Amino acid sequence: MAFHRITFNVNGELEQADVPSNMTLLKMLRENLALTGTKNGCAEGECGACTVLMNGEPVNSCLVLAVECDGAEIVTVEGLAHDERLDAVQQTIIDAGGVQCGFCTPGILISARALLDRNPQPSEEDIRIALVGNLCRCTGYVRIIQGVQEAARI
Amino acid sequence: MSIDAHPGLPEFDYIKPTTLKEASDFLIAHAGEARPLMGGTDIFVRMRSGGWNDKYLVDVKCLEGMNDISYDPHKGLSIGAAVNMNRVIASREVQDNYALLLQAASSVASYQLRTRATIVGNICNASPAGDTIGACILLGGVLHVHGNGGIRQEPIKTFFKGPGETLLRTGDIVTSIHFPVPEEGARGVYIKLGRNKASDLSIVGVTVFGYPDVNVPSGYRIRLALASVAPLPLVVDQVEAILTETSIDEDRLMLAAEAAMHACTPIDDVRASARYRKVMTRNLSFNALKVVWKDLKKL
Amino acid sequence: MVMEETNTKVPSPIGENKIRLDAREKVTGAALFADDIQFGSGLLHARVKRSPHPHARIISIDTSKAKALPGVKAVVTGEDYPGYIGLYLLDRHIFCRDKVRYVGDPVAGVAAKSEQIAEKALQLIEVEYEVLEPVLDPEAGVSPEAPLLHPNLEEYEVANFIFPEPGTNISNHFKIRKGDVESVWDECEALVERKYHIPHIQHVPIEPHVAIAKVDETGEVTLWGSSQSPFAQRNLIAKCLGISQSDMRVIAPYVGGGFGSKAGVSMEALAVVIASQVKGRPVKLLLTREEEFYTAFVRQGLVAYFKMGCDADGRLLAMENKFFWDAGAYTEYGVNITRASGYSSSGPYEVPNVKTDSYCVYTNHPVGGPMRGFGMPEMHAGLEQCIDELARDIDMDPVEFRRINCLKTGSVLVTGSKMHPIGLTQCLEKAADAIGWGSKAPPSAPNKKRGKGIALMWKAPAMPPNAGSSAWVELAEDGTLTVGVGGQDIGQGAFTVAAQMAAAALGVPYEWVRIATPVDTLYSPYEWQTVASRLTWSMGNAVVNAAKDARRQILDLVAEAWEEDPQNLDIVNGIVVSYKSEREMPLKDIAIYGLPKPDDQGWLGGPVRGRGNFMPSYITGLDPETGQGERAVVHYTTGAQAVELEVDLDTGRVEILRGVSAFDVGRAINPELVEAQMEGGFVQGMSSALFESMQLKDGVMQNPSFVDYRIATSTDVPLDLENIIVEVPQDDGPWGARGVGEHSMVPTIPAIANAIYDAVGIRMEGPPFTAEKIYLAMLDAGIVK
Ligand code: FES
Ligand code: FES
Repeated sequence: MAFHRITFNVNGELEQADVPSNMTLLKMLRENLALTGTKNGCAEGECGACTVLMNGEPVNSCLVLAVECDGAEIVTVEGLAHDERLDAVQQTIIDAGGVQCGFCTPGILISARALLDRNPQPSEEDIRIALVGNLCRCTGYVRIIQGVQEAARI
Repeated sequence: MSIDAHPGLPEFDYIKPTTLKEASDFLIAHAGEARPLMGGTDIFVRMRSGGWNDKYLVDVKCLEGMNDISYDPHKGLSIGAAVNMNRVIASREVQDNYALLLQAASSVASYQLRTRATIVGNICNASPAGDTIGACILLGGVLHVHGNGGIRQEPIKTFFKGPGETLLRTGDIVTSIHFPVPEEGARGVYIKLGRNKASDLSIVGVTVFGYPDVNVPSGYRIRLALASVAPLPLVVDQVEAILTETSIDEDRLMLAAEAAMHACTPIDDVRASARYRKVMTRNLSFNALKVVWKDLKKL
Repeated sequence: MVMEETNTKVPSPIGENKIRLDAREKVTGAALFADDIQFGSGLLHARVKRSPHPHARIISIDTSKAKALPGVKAVVTGEDYPGYIGLYLLDRHIFCRDKVRYVGDPVAGVAAKSEQIAEKALQLIEVEYEVLEPVLDPEAGVSPEAPLLHPNLEEYEVANFIFPEPGTNISNHFKIRKGDVESVWDECEALVERKYHIPHIQHVPIEPHVAIAKVDETGEVTLWGSSQSPFAQRNLIAKCLGISQSDMRVIAPYVGGGFGSKAGVSMEALAVVIASQVKGRPVKLLLTREEEFYTAFVRQGLVAYFKMGCDADGRLLAMENKFFWDAGAYTEYGVNITRASGYSSSGPYEVPNVKTDSYCVYTNHPVGGPMRGFGMPEMHAGLEQCIDELARDIDMDPVEFRRINCLKTGSVLVTGSKMHPIGLTQCLEKAADAIGWGSKAPPSAPNKKRGKGIALMWKAPAMPPNAGSSAWVELAEDGTLTVGVGGQDIGQGAFTVAAQMAAAALGVPYEWVRIATPVDTLYSPYEWQTVASRLTWSMGNAVVNAAKDARRQILDLVAEAWEEDPQNLDIVNGIVVSYKSEREMPLKDIAIYGLPKPDDQGWLGGPVRGRGNFMPSYITGLDPETGQGERAVVHYTTGAQAVELEVDLDTGRVEILRGVSAFDVGRAINPELVEAQMEGGFVQGMSSALFESMQLKDGVMQNPSFVDYRIATSTDVPLDLENIIVEVPQDDGPWGARGVGEHSMVPTIPAIANAIYDAVGIRMEGPPFTAEKIYLAMLDAGIVK
């Protein structure tokens, strides 16, 4: 199986890697780069725990090949905070009580960040729809939705 | 999904040709063991479950024209095969002129999945549940296919041979999908019934598209397509006939909806029973027809 | 939220909404889950060969080709591991030896340099089976004609409160014989007799099961896993392998959702056994989502028969219940769920005559584990619908009917003991009030029907009588506090609550407290398991005791140094104060180095470490023939839920518009976290009511992925969820607290079912109340055409 040399940007840092064809972006992040904030919940695009930003748009990193990321810009949950300062939505989800086990949280934050970037004033319905691909088994979503609403307010 | 689904993807080689010809040639040279790769939303799932085990995935996403989306008020809309659904949904032209397509695309899975999923991919999977297929058929969509013998056009209406089967041949690469300018005053709706409110596959999907037509007795031409209730995406021609023959009222719409129910041939599966699908085809067809008809009347 | 007035004053930060300790690391991606731990390139990957048959005899296993595959480091079968494992009934081997009993039963395991090689090796393992007739229904399973799944049941080691019936498929039969039901049926004004079928569902934590095991040359085992039960795993795996518990170390970082699925031992033992063949190398076993669906614990199915009657005044006179639990191939927890549902089989009502037979039945289905509610959601699903029906049969308002019959302080329970102080009536009234019981709003559209429903619940922690907790607290140089616990934060906020309790009991600010994580059986204090909603109460007591112990050490020391009476000393905000001399001293000046003696000749004290434990001492057994006894459980948490919903007449789809939860939690240590449990539980309950079932056909799950096993998403939940905290203190709970983690999904199914009935007048045999089921039921009833 062929390996490919790729260059890409993760959370603002330029990275180079030699990846086999069948390596997913999720696996590369978790295993090669030890960016384990991005989670594997199903490996088939259904749970959203693996959601990252690829060129500014959220993708299920379990369904993207690492080799497809050549030249791409990737942002993971580890890249949301800057200089120890949490991103607004990280803080509002904490304050709203939208974190329980925390396994869905990274993917939810990425989806929420992407939503707020493309639509700074989302309606409740917009938020629900933007998060429909992020399953959470603990919280019942209510506090997560409220957290995103709050992030849009500030 | 079997119990033996792999934790990761099986081995394959990723090929990234630079021209359509190169891609076609490679696919032909490796017939049976190579597959064009678009968004991957379906391929990777099937490879992981062991259903597909191609040796090569040929990434055609970045080939010329694949990422263009353009609209011409005379010629219509052209969407490159690699344009993802979110881009289609965000496109001003689509919003203004092809609301039905937008609505159908928006009902597919989740936002992050739609960053990778494409309309052309949805069509090429030829799943009877494909959410955008009904809209593409009723809007008169035509695929542009780069194949062995050059470029050819395939109307979507006649594109499907069976579940998962299309007219595509080895070496074929769909490069774009084209839609004519919709008829003046056209209206459409896609009503999808899933188990959850959103993001699910459809148990029944009903697409209705219509426009005023002075040449028919009813004054309207209204067509209807169904998803998930037949082996193939199904256009129910009787609906169009019933709704052109004579003036439309709710009884007439119900007659058409019942025709849709009788035309469909659903099966029992994990998502729903055939019995439920049948009655839902009637109820949702009626609702969808009513929405479009009321919209048309408002003109 | 409404807080019940209580008179007792509580110290800060008890009752305060402190932000979870783990929130920041969880939003930054820093929180470490088991699969996140980096083991470097020495890590081996394990995969497991599993049975494709629900029931078969293993004729032969040929692993030679797999062993010969380059990159394969170990291939393991059951041959070398004859030991039995199990929590209450030791009925399974780690790898199957003679028979397979469900689809997914592990037959062989492989460790290899990569997952892909391990996968290839699996394909090279040849297993020959003789397919046997399966048992696929628990009722059929008890019949004498049914194939026997465990012919040597009588040889299995079993806990003394579990009663298997050798020669049958019954792994436990629990009985209640209270009063005489037969004699009162004739006196009943109304009688309801119903059968319900509750399907198997799964916990679906978003983090799949994962375990990494390493076995040293000396035989010492280290297991990293996503675990609710590190100590139980230490004990059970060590016992099965015949090694010392001290040689078995379990390290349990954050758990990405448990709900019971990660309690006890499931796949962890597989990783340990495989790793024992490749000494010194860590071996990781990570379940795919599909494997998770096929092979992780399930909430077992239930076929339940209820018969109940009341007099003309609405007083419940008798109940007769029969439960057939579809426990699956083995019964890690099923036997005790059977027991718990038996001793709770009256529901939260005082009923003079009760007869219950609760059977745990072996079937060739996936293994039943504990799931949030431990049998109570399944049991209440039917019971609380029957209560509604009885009320309607005698033309009484269902809320009034419940008010008359529900448990009050001092009520005689189904097991004969007396109810402790309880706020169930308040929960009922507040929930009814909040949902606007008795008033009916018009539906939002002409094709919709609106309805309201209510249900009550009770649940006790189901556990052995002597399940214990322990804790330690240790002061650092700067006076801050580290608390050691063996309980796990699985999202419910146990660490935060433990920190609040330690802070309050010792007298330091909450911000000074941290929890020693990850839980590590080598260093953490013992905890039975993180199950049964018992941590706030049991581990909480241990933490309080440990903090008090440290406090006593500090105050004794200071008293001696200052030559004062410790009675006059206190610790406030991290400062030792004397109410007599008005002297003050910060903890940091005392914590590690002690204090000089009053005469300055030498030193007093030393590093402060408080320790505490807790184990209930008052639990007695129940008579095996009658189920009667003094005190079968530590306590009951009770509550109510009410919903308002709409049914779409075009599709049958249910939309939940509003939900109210009211639970008597004794004392809310952190009200926000209590509310979060109520909400999360409500939605999980709602999800099980509307969407979830494992579709088992001939023993094979038909929907083993998120594509077809649907759970509630962000678009399905009502934002209008009201949470009501009622506080009638528990006598032996820390500041009166008792647990609420599971309870919030117990009454949801029947509350929804009762609301559906209110809306459209139909009842179904069991959940999920899918659009399809409701529509077709309406169609059959002529409600729609
Ligand atoms: S792991 Fe990618 S969507 Fe679940
Ligand atoms: S917080 Fe546990 S899955 Fe969302």
